[in-house]
Amino acid sequence: MASANFETYVEANSSLHSWTPRLKLLSLSLLMFAFAAVKHLPLVLPMLCVVAVLYGLSGLPLSYLLKRLRYPGLFILMVVLLLPFTSGGTVLAQWGPLALRQEGIITAVLVVCRFVSILTLGFVLLGSTPFLTLLRAMRSLGLPTLLADMTLLTYRYLFETADMLSTMQRSMRLRGFGLRRQWFRLEGKTLLQLSGLLGTLLIRSYERSERVYKAMQLRGYGQLKQPQLAAQQPIDSRSLLLTMVTVAAALGFVMAEITFSTIIG
Amino acid sequence: MHISEGFLPAQVCIAGYGNTGLLTWYSLRQINRQGNPNAKIPKASLLTAAFFVASSISIPIPPTSVHLLLNGLLGVVLGYFAVPAILIGLLFQAMFFGHGGLTTLGVNASMLGFPALLAYHIFQLRFVLEPKEQAFSQSNGSIWRIGAFSFLGGALGLALTALIFFVLMVTLVSAEFDVQTELVAVTYLTLAHLPLAIIEGGFTAMLAVFLQRVKPELLTGR
Repeated sequence: MASANFETYVEANSSLHSWTPRLKLLSLSLLMFAFAAVKHLPLVLPMLCVVAVLYGLSGLPLSYLLKRLRYPGLFILMVVLLLPFTSGGTVLAQWGPLALRQEGIITAVLVVCRFVSILTLGFVLLGSTPFLTLLRAMRSLGLPTLLADMTLLTYRYLFETADMLSTMQRSMRLRGFGLRRQWFRLEGKTLLQLSGLLGTLLIRSYERSERVYKAMQLRGYGQLKQPQLAAQQPIDSRSLLLTMVTVAAALGFVMAEITFSTIIG
Repeated sequence: MHISEGFLPAQVCIAGYGNTGLLTWYSLRQINRQGNPNAKIPKASLLTAAFFVASSISIPIPPTSVHLLLNGLLGVVLGYFAVPAILIGLLFQAMFFGHGGLTTLGVNASMLGFPALLAYHIFQLRFVLEPKEQAFSQSNGSIWRIGAFSFLGGALGLALTALIFFVLMVTLVSAEFDVQTELVAVTYLTLAHLPLAIIEGGFTAMLAVFLQRVKPELLTGR
């Protein structure tokens, strides 16, 4: 965890990087939900094309996407391998008790394509917008102050807490934790030691939070009755165009899905 | 236990956001009623960060290991702050690791948030069942009651989350399963998670007892 990369933003000079953050957040979120609504195979190719165009416009390197897709991809692999053999009635091939089913294959293809498309759009959003800018955009769209403050503080202390945990785990290993291994057995002592590890981490975080709060109070935290929002960035014509095209694409997918559902069922 | 992008229909994702919106509104209202929320924000935030990094801790059962869900524990330690903490934790997991998702954030937050609040209320039951002479004291309750109710909170937190997860996955991912198959699948998959619920409950109880002995103010009070 300590070595995990919490930075998602990639510096570049693309039209998506200069897109007004709150419009970008709204438009790309709308497009993600439109993609989640896709249930018919003919819409899969246009969906992947839209994603490819947006990713190309973002100027993010392909290695960024491949690196970030690798870990979540493992999670859906199981389901995708399972669906073609468990879901549906039209058997395409049979090997003993194993039957390959058409409906299962279609569902698996849809799930994978939606998964890749929505996830890639998420990475386009996060890769082209610094986290703090994104949080400010959420705040300007009505995110409650408590949630915004908590998100910011959690993010601020994430790296240090991860380092703290890593040091504590290393100390445990140096003192022999995890050396005795008995197969298929959970030892109560191990559970007790790990609960002590998390308990100590919580206590250290709590004690630090008391110091942080005192420092924040000294700097005037909580004194303003109405929290001040930073002046909003003016909307340029390119941002407006990108927003209109993206929203039109999202509505197009929703309309197409409704049409397909009415015609095909 | 997260639902990834692409698995759920858009209507369910939107309904998930609606549910989470209500749950968050309710939690924030309760937090404001408790008074001086500003003073609790740093504590809740740093504990959220601690819980987030602690989600990487796995319990070794050679040759494999199991990860804890920690939502019951979040309820026991953070009370109503557990809901914003879960929301933030899930947002970070989706952002940094692609685990879960942005469209499924609402569904995942409800799936973990409701059981976390349930765990908090179960943990608060220790005050209802305490002897009358201790009813007005400032103590957190006896070690035994803390252990027992935190065990229940942790175990039920995981069991309820598993039930919601499997109901959603089995009924919504594919329309091709018949009702009987779905019912059998949900029952068996949830039952298969009972040993994990016991481990989660045991871990929550051990940690609650540890905190009571070392730093009792960290546990949610009356």
